[in-house]
Amino acid sequence: MSAITRFLARVGAFGLFVAAFARATVTHRPPVERTFEEAYRIGVQSLPILIIVNIFVGTNLAVQGNNAFEQLGGQSMVGTFVALAGVREMAPIMVASMVAAKAGTEMASQIAVMRIQEQIDALEVMAINPLWFLVTPRLLGILLVLPGLTMISVALMLASAWFVAIVQLGLNGSDFLAQCAEITHGADLVYGAIKAFVFAIIICLVSCFFGYTSPKGPAGVGRATNAAVVVSAVVCAILNYLMSELLYG
Amino acid sequence: MADGAPRALHIDDPIIRLDNLSKRFGSLVVFENLSMDIARGKTTTILGPSGTGKSVLIKHIVGLLAPDDGSVWVEDVNMVTAPERVKLQVRTKFGMLFQHGALFDSLTAGENVEFPMKYHRRSWSAAKRREVAMEKLRLVELESFYDAPTASLSGGQRKRVGLARAIALEPEVVLFDEPNSGLDPLTSATIDDLIRRMQRQLGITFIIISHDIVQAMHISDYIGMLFGGTLLEYAAVDDFLHTRHRTVRAFLQRNVDLPEMDDSELIDP
Repeated sequence: MSAITRFLARVGAFGLFVAAFARATVTHRPPVERTFEEAYRIGVQSLPILIIVNIFVGTNLAVQGNNAFEQLGGQSMVGTFVALAGVREMAPIMVASMVAAKAGTEMASQIAVMRIQEQIDALEVMAINPLWFLVTPRLLGILLVLPGLTMISVALMLASAWFVAIVQLGLNGSDFLAQCAEITHGADLVYGAIKAFVFAIIICLVSCFFGYTSPKGPAGVGRATNAAVVVSAVVCAILNYLMSELLYG
Repeated sequence: MADGAPRALHIDDPIIRLDNLSKRFGSLVVFENLSMDIARGKTTTILGPSGTGKSVLIKHIVGLLAPDDGSVWVEDVNMVTAPERVKLQVRTKFGMLFQHGALFDSLTAGENVEFPMKYHRRSWSAAKRREVAMEKLRLVELESFYDAPTASLSGGQRKRVGLARAIALEPEVVLFDEPNSGLDPLTSATIDDLIRRMQRQLGITFIIISHDIVQAMHISDYIGMLFGGTLLEYAAVDDFLHTRHRTVRAFLQRNVDLPEMDDSELIDP
């Protein structure tokens, strides 16, 4: 089978997986308790790494913005640059990447292990739809927390950039904030939440798909986990560009 | 019988009926036109060497795999053509002990047994679920392990908890996939005794997939042998020992004393 045929077969299998999942979700009642467990787990577990990464993305945006605009004598543009890049682009895609790396890999590996240990077969024999049991609460959980995590990241990036702008770069903090406020609007936050919503769907469905269809054996779990994070990150990056074109273009 | 089409064994009112079942994975023929009836309330063991499709067969019975051809009847429902909703209803009549237990490691032994009750006995209180789970664990002599983390259980204990979970909803049929695989002889004997005792106590249909001839002889009412994609022999235990199939005799000979038979009486697949 050629690489293109394999790719198309995989895309087709993903389509069937999503269709089966959608059917299972609408024909069963929502797993409320497990949704909140997943939301808590994804949100809380991802938060420490998000805090650290987003703080330092913010600091770097301020430093590089300053380096670029200093040569043109336009240091007053640093706040504008940080707000545009951070709020519109960096925060949503950084959150998506971190959550794909943390929660997405966990979803893929957990489900893959359940597959090879026949726990998914056991669910089916117990007349419990495995897609509803495994995927629905994870999707609802990540949908609940990812927009919130994105807003937290926006705040952290701006705060850390503002701090570096004052302390390290010697810029005027009030001017910095005024530039941020001038260039960003409420709509930017809504668009950020929309992006987060789409990324949440991609990360969850892709990760669960690779886990669910994992080849047998420990090597299979490793491959499924690896594929989950790579495909999620690539698809999110492409969609981030397309959505930015659509929303801001 | 070697072509798999006719039923050698007549069973009145079978609970499960496999009709001309065929399954291929790519070019690999797993079985071809396989037909057999499973007796209600009895223990039927399907024997065969590794890789002959025993586990694939059991997955067809419960609807986890679909055949390329043929049908699987569970009472009056054809599991191959039935809508998903009906299949789910039929599956509530089944319990299954998987090869390695298939327990959920994040739960305790007791929670594993309670698990199917949470989804199929919603009206039961937590106390009632616990009481029933404890009763099932008592049947497998593990009631003191209710709060034990699954990860702390030995292989034999995992299988016993898996068996307690399999009977949690009082199914009509329990399927066993290699119940003795990976177990030492003593633990295997314990599991065999347990299966025999539970079958007597509960009177439900047991279907066992195994390559363990000694176990099959101990616990079965009927034995079938799957080989080369066909059901070579299928008979009540005593009749099974009088098989004229050369391959079946060869499979049995190392572990069981078989009645002498002249070479001219033997038949090949």
